[in-house]
Amino acid sequence: MFKKIIVSMLMILFVMVSTSVTFADDGPGGNKRKGKYTYRKVYKACAQRGEVSEKKPPINPSDKTMAQWQRIFENKDFADFKCAPEWAALSDEDILDIYSYLYGYAADSPSPATCK
Amino acid sequence: MKQQLLLRYLVVLAVATGLIGCTATRNNTAVLSPPAAPEWQFHSIVDVEFVMENATIPMPDNVMIIDARPYKPKYVNGHIPGAVSIPDSQFDKQVNLLPKDKNTLLIYYCGGLACKLSHKSAQKAEKLGYSNVKVFAKGFPKWKKTPGNYVSVSVDHVAAALEKNQAVIVDARPKKPKFDKGHIPTALSIPFTYFDKYKGKLPRDTNTPLIFYCGGLTCKLSHKSATAALALGYTNVNVFSQGYPEWKKAFGASPAAAIKPGDTEGSMDIATFEKMLSETPHNMMIVDVRDKDEFDKGSFKSAVHIPVDDLEDKIKDLPSDKPVVFICSTGARSGEAYYMIQDVRPSLKNIYYLEAACSFNKDGSFEIKKTEG
Repeated sequence: MFKKIIVSMLMILFVMVSTSVTFADDGPGGNKRKGKYTYRKVYKACAQRGEVSEKKPPINPSDKTMAQWQRIFENKDFADFKCAPEWAALSDEDILDIYSYLYGYAADSPSPATCK
Repeated sequence: MKQQLLLRYLVVLAVATGLIGCTATRNNTAVLSPPAAPEWQFHSIVDVEFVMENATIPMPDNVMIIDARPYKPKYVNGHIPGAVSIPDSQFDKQVNLLPKDKNTLLIYYCGGLACKLSHKSAQKAEKLGYSNVKVFAKGFPKWKKTPGNYVSVSVDHVAAALEKNQAVIVDARPKKPKFDKGHIPTALSIPFTYFDKYKGKLPRDTNTPLIFYCGGLTCKLSHKSATAALALGYTNVNVFSQGYPEWKKAFGASPAAAIKPGDTEGSMDIATFEKMLSETPHNMMIVDVRDKDEFDKGSFKSAVHIPVDDLEDKIKDLPSDKPVVFICSTGARSGEAYYMIQDVRPSLKNIYYLEAACSFNKDGSFEIKKTEG
């Protein structure tokens, strides 16, 4: 009986680990290349409108961990990004692309990056 | 009596002074007289003004200016506009390039007063029966030094300048339809008709080498633009007289059909890229979108540098007749560049990026590693 419990727990653990690894590798599933462009485009438009002074996005992908990005996008909490009108105008696909970009280059990702 | 003596003295003095003056003049004449012409010098020498009068575009049938210097590297890297290359060493082999009409004015030149090649060729031409042969003895150095003159360059020179990013290439033809239909990679479109309007596109540094071209030997637009650039103070002005037809002949048109796409949207298959890079690099325009410090450390020889931050302003300059391939160090910025084109200039169809990490070594070697999109 005890053996069965141990084996079952190990199997559950294996499934959990492999699921999380798979998730970490795949990311949110959007187009991170397109997301990089869209993300920068948001701030270009926002700077033209005058809300922010620089065209460069104020938050870099490597400013947060993958878990933090996941939380922000799952909650759709974009307040820290400013430029609310531009964010509101984005389609779900655009947001997913941006999420994929930020997540893919997060601080704890294999290749953390700035907005360079 | 005293007055008579004084008068005689003055007369003698005046005569003596006159004699000395005459002697001095004779001596000066002797000093200033030109040295005897060397034996090899051709009998009919002309000056730069004579050549300028005859170097018209297009060249008339009854005049031929002939560069007697070696084709490479001399003629290729600069010659008098309209001049034909018949190196003296190749005279017999290329004699068929001379005009049939033996009364045609032939003007030979080479590398200056100490250069014998033009004189030797002129003598050979005269022996063949040409009756109106001249030598521009001061040759190419004098041509270049004369204010208001520019030089012509050949297709090899243009290709080398493009590879090394050493010159600004300017297409002087009308933008629609000529430039839009096809042009030399990286070329700026400044149609001669709108030269004044678009001259601001030229580099600020007036020492930057400029190469103007248009539709071939009979096209005057590039020559007119070159003259206009000289008037603006540009010091290194060149014309690729054979123009776009010669470029197409040498490097072909866009091989869009041969391009194999990569796994991710907009990417180019890496093996296809590597093959084109080694075999036909001029059949695509490689745009390195990394920052200047990265580009300065190394890039593909034929790549042009447009940092991704500057790309939007330069999108209109990208060619539509060849594939444009963006590259960077990870695929992130090159991918961004690809999507920028899709958004800003979607009509441009031949656009790709490398979903790859490109790294370059000091010795010019490079590595292309596929990344996950």
